[in-house]
Amino acid sequence: MRKYILFITIFLLSVACTRCPRNYTDGTEVCIFPDYTDITVPSNIAPANFMIREQADKYYTLLKSGNSDIAIKGKKVDIPLRKWRKLTALGDITVTVYEEKDGKWIRMKPFRINVAEEIDPYLSYRIIPPVHESYMRLTLNQRNLTNFKEKVIYANTMASKGADTQCINCHSFKNWHTDNMQFHIRQYLGGTILYRNGKLQKLNMKTDSTVSAAVYPSWHPTHDYIAYSTNKTHQNFHTNHTNRIEVFDEVSDLILFNLTDNSVSIIENDPAEFECYPSWSPDGKRLYYVSANLGNPAEVSKRGGAVAANSNGTFKYSLYTKDFDPDNRTWSGKEIFYDAAAVDSSITWPRVSPDGRWLLCCISTHGVFPPNQEVSDLIMFDLEKGSYRYVDEINSNKSESYHSWSSNGKWVVISSRREDGVHTRPYLSHLNNDGTFTKPFLLPQKDPEFSHKFLYSFNIPEFTVEPVKVSPRKLASFVKSTYASPVKFEQKREK
Amino acid sequence: MAKARWILPVALWGVLTFFSYEFLLKVEERSLFLYDALWLKDFLIKPSGILSFLSLFLTQFLHIPWLGALIWTILLTLSAELTRIIFRIPVTLSALTFIPASIFVAYNMSMGYTVYLTNLPGYFYMPLLGYLWALLTVTVLRKERKAAVLLILFLTWGFAGYYIAGFYSLAGTVATCIYISVSGDYSRTGKILPIAVTAVSLLLAPVAFAGTTTYNISNGWIIGMPEQDYGLTFTRMQLPLMLAMVCLAIAPVIKFRNVLSGKGITMAIQSAAIAVVIAVPSLFWFRDDNFKAELGMIRATELMDWDKVTDIYSKLQNRHEKDPSWQPTRVHVLLKDLALIKTGQEGERAYGFENGCKKQKTRCDVPMAFQIGKILHLNYGIPGICNRWCDEEAVLFGCNYLTYKYYAMIAILLNDNTLTEEYLDKLEKTLFYRKWAREQRKIYRDRDLLAQTAPYDMIIPLMCYDDIITSDLNGCEYFLINHFNGPMPANSTPLYDRVALYFALDSKQSALFWPRFNIYLNSNKPSRIARFYQEAAYLFCNIENDPRLETLPFNEKTRNLYKSFMQSASRIGMKSLKDARNAIPANLRHSYYFYFYYVNELEMF
Repeated sequence: MRKYILFITIFLLSVACTRCPRNYTDGTEVCIFPDYTDITVPSNIAPANFMIREQADKYYTLLKSGNSDIAIKGKKVDIPLRKWRKLTALGDITVTVYEEKDGKWIRMKPFRINVAEEIDPYLSYRIIPPVHESYMRLTLNQRNLTNFKEKVIYANTMASKGADTQCINCHSFKNWHTDNMQFHIRQYLGGTILYRNGKLQKLNMKTDSTVSAAVYPSWHPTHDYIAYSTNKTHQNFHTNHTNRIEVFDEVSDLILFNLTDNSVSIIENDPAEFECYPSWSPDGKRLYYVSANLGNPAEVSKRGGAVAANSNGTFKYSLYTKDFDPDNRTWSGKEIFYDAAAVDSSITWPRVSPDGRWLLCCISTHGVFPPNQEVSDLIMFDLEKGSYRYVDEINSNKSESYHSWSSNGKWVVISSRREDGVHTRPYLSHLNNDGTFTKPFLLPQKDPEFSHKFLYSFNIPEFTVEPVKVSPRKLASFVKSTYASPVKFEQKREK
Repeated sequence: MAKARWILPVALWGVLTFFSYEFLLKVEERSLFLYDALWLKDFLIKPSGILSFLSLFLTQFLHIPWLGALIWTILLTLSAELTRIIFRIPVTLSALTFIPASIFVAYNMSMGYTVYLTNLPGYFYMPLLGYLWALLTVTVLRKERKAAVLLILFLTWGFAGYYIAGFYSLAGTVATCIYISVSGDYSRTGKILPIAVTAVSLLLAPVAFAGTTTYNISNGWIIGMPEQDYGLTFTRMQLPLMLAMVCLAIAPVIKFRNVLSGKGITMAIQSAAIAVVIAVPSLFWFRDDNFKAELGMIRATELMDWDKVTDIYSKLQNRHEKDPSWQPTRVHVLLKDLALIKTGQEGERAYGFENGCKKQKTRCDVPMAFQIGKILHLNYGIPGICNRWCDEEAVLFGCNYLTYKYYAMIAILLNDNTLTEEYLDKLEKTLFYRKWAREQRKIYRDRDLLAQTAPYDMIIPLMCYDDIITSDLNGCEYFLINHFNGPMPANSTPLYDRVALYFALDSKQSALFWPRFNIYLNSNKPSRIARFYQEAAYLFCNIENDPRLETLPFNEKTRNLYKSFMQSASRIGMKSLKDARNAIPANLRHSYYFYFYYVNELEMF
């Protein structure tokens, strides 16, 4: 009997304790981390847990949507998944934080979390230390956006042996599905790993006629092709700057890989140009890419020349297009789409929205690798109207870089270093009907402090509508047991 | 005799505390234990992660070397005592029980320069804790039980034990099977079942956990042991630990009661065991005066005890005064130079020491950048390259106290408050570095205060140059030479001018020396020109018939020394550089003239 009385007392006490403060004064805006104030979230996203960044004796947070609410005590607001689902199903959420200081409650200015369309449930990224030349532990991970579960797709430690380590990079999926997936392994047991409809392949994409193995990929949306850049990439270091590193190419071209006969052909290899970042239009009839004109290629073929060009900020990439006939595999001539170099800028990472309306790119002062630059922004072209604008509602005073569209074209994920300038984090933003974006928000984590504690970068975030279907062990065993098959080289077909 | 066995641990503790404390501190500095749940989580996902976590917990106490050594010694003694009790080894043969412990001592203390390359978190305590776990395994599993209970117990222990202690647990279960099979106390089922279940868990445990973790499955059976890497071989990294585990397997086989049949035999075995227990660590203990001095100098540099840095160098030099083959390593020379620069004594004392480039006593290449790259680049005001080496080290060997400390100092120097907070937060979650983190927190936002606080007061003035994008191509010393011998910054500070002059002096190029000498005189306005700057100026004036020979205020000692040196050099005539160098009288060796003409074959890193 005593036990029951004790239990009931504790229960009643706990209920009483979570009661919303009745007597309070109104305060100002609340400071929370991550900043989830007045954001728009997908209806299926994991709970937007946050922590209150103000000193108080007690905290009380009320999340309300329709006739449903959740009350949470404490500085860390850890929202139960089921209750969060219930709230998001009812629509926009109003969040009110109460803080007790010196025995008096203050109701901070409420903020809204708007709820919009669903997002693709999976986000894949590489976990990587921010600056380095060595690699000991790299993983390709996949996060379930509807909860906090994260799984490893592949880790280099699964096949590395002592000092024989691997760099893994450039994971990519065809049309947001995981039946067609690829990533590269460099160095030990290296090759391009292709997963196609349950079958694995390991390829050596370097041929005598190409400058390197395949690097930045873009799956053709309708046919069995992948456009790649081929790059000889280097990195150098700043001596005395908050920027730590400069990544640059010594040489780069574009190739097309035909998956049906494992052949590669040149798309562009102008010796006076550094071509990079191929990206298909949604119909697969046009390829966007960036290229820097070097003036005198003989000069920059020397590594020192490239370094000098980069360090002086004169190495600037512009945006080009090439039309493509996927059935006959023929190319038209190149056309300049946006002459960023002419306005003393460098444009990279073109990505067209799934509906073909918007083209989102990264723009910075110079160079080919904006994540490591102090400031780089997103710029968006309206392909229907032929206009462009800087996406100020997303851009911060730090580096915004790799970005990716969700399959419904309503969400983008952006790699941003806005928090500390060094560690790249994925931010999500919703595209409104008028072509503007909502305030970007940090990918929710179970522990809102995670972002402060986890000193690695999230690299190349890519949405998928389904989980990766091949297990890490199967991938590792395949990597270890298979030699990289060579690919054929074919001549380019011009229209 | 029985009581005498306590002498060994006490002696070990004494040796560690008084003669190897620099090494223990280095082990501690290169580890990390955070009082943080997210950090702990990282250990829970990997077999042997818990053992690693516990080892790191204990490693942090090496920060106070006598305490860390005491804990280690107590655990070593405990392992011996438990071995004796579990395998019923008579006290009269107790020295035998110290054999595994002696292997662990030899293993750790033979590390030497490997300390810079080992990448298993908690490697210092892990073998010992693993051995203790293996002993626990034998204790728990060896009791005869009903078949069903045995089955469940062995299966559970096989898998759960593997998760906790990896290789050591597998070794423990194998030892138990040997124990059971050689003992006459077990039924047939009681013998066969454990062996069968152990075989299953031995085969399947690594496979079972492979799906949840990211290690190379071929390493699954040895997980918990340091990996072979960077020239570290199986013989160095894994064989000794396997041998220690073999002792566990052998112990049950030996019939100690039979051995005790004769007192003479007992005595002989005990004596032999004592010899082994003493000989194994003694033989493998890494003894290298240069290494010890390097560790001491690095430690003193970290503590900004610049006088101690030069003291250690002087003492080392004096100890080897009569050994003509002795040379300092580049680590000694570079740290000595740094200490002299920091105390403003480089012009007076830099060439008063022996110079050299003795190859470090290491079998595998240990890049200098991993040894003192961070220290040099930070102290010479090149935070970008310091950051690079923190990153490389963190990626290859995991973050440690020192990398976080350097990350924090870099962020402070670059006025990057958000990053500073992130790194200080990490250090605040440690036991012994939180005080340092709190001190930094008090000063880093106040740039004026910072500029007056060590070590920043001597670093900020060296950061007066414009940022450049470059690479050190993994060569610390070359990079520093090129950095300070490059174009002078437009707004150079007196300290920068002084350092640039010293590097010009060291590079023996008069074209570099003269402009820097003039800048130095203008900015530093020394009341008297330091000895070696005078010697360099006097030498270059003589070589180039420079009219400044008459105008510069060279003192008599400089002139006379030059005269004596040149006379001596002409007397020696054309000999090989080595012979000529040795023929120069001792009183002329510690001059810039000697450095200029006879120190020419320094291999830099």
